[in-house]
Amino acid sequence: METAETKTVETPGTKAPWEGTGVTLPARFKIGDRVRVRELPAIFYSRTQMYVRGVSGTVVRLNYPDLTPEDEAWNRYNAPQEQYYIVRFCQKDLWEEYPFQNDTLQSEYPESALEPATD
Amino acid sequence: MPSRSELRQLYDAGAQLTPAIHQPQDWPYEVPHTLYEAYMWPLHDVGGHAAAPALFEEKEEEEWEDKTYVTCEVLGWKGVWNAEERRRRADNDVGVSIYYGFPYYGRWIWSAARMLVDKNHISLNELHEKIAEVKARYGNR
Repeated sequence: METAETKTVETPGTKAPWEGTGVTLPARFKIGDRVRVRELPAIFYSRTQMYVRGVSGTVVRLNYPDLTPEDEAWNRYNAPQEQYYIVRFCQKDLWEEYPFQNDTLQSEYPESALEPATD
Repeated sequence: MPSRSELRQLYDAGAQLTPAIHQPQDWPYEVPHTLYEAYMWPLHDVGGHAAAPALFEEKEEEEWEDKTYVTCEVLGWKGVWNAEERRRRADNDVGVSIYYGFPYYGRWIWSAARMLVDKNHISLNELHEKIAEVKARYGNR
């Protein structure tokens, strides 16, 4: 009988198996752009927080392109890799009762979580 | 095998795991929409939630926690899962009772075992037999 001890796991190749192999999409936003977090469903899995959805912020950094969490969490390594952005929000926009006008919060999102802000 | 009274204790403890919206729920047909949204939301997105009172403790990782961490990382290096799948399984797929009821690394090892069964690296029967064997070795504690 094959047991956990005898089971051979496929040896990964030169590339880590969790690295994306799909196309890398060009970045749509640049530093300084105003973006709004899309109000998508979060059924089963997401890393886009509830409290930022529908809120606008400013792109302050372009990180790297990568799989979205929704694709990586189900091993969809062939999915397109998207640009990741650091977006800066005003705390007051996130939490009405927040006491300090100038405080901000930064967090990271893949491009498909964002849309151009209209406000 | 647990005695009948132990079994009763186990059932009573299980009943206490009812998700803590402070009203016992038992498969209701009517779910208010806000409650539905709360149920469907990924468990790990706790930003903005009212926090339960917690005691702050200066504490080193325990040996089982280090072993759990290393086991899960090795499974990653071997390509059996990745960090995002681990988060998805350990932070969401465990369900609300285990998410709030288990220690952090308890969720990791629970989800590693579940993943190995889901992907047919081990069978559930093998896992059950192994746990029974280890329990017997330690005098069924």
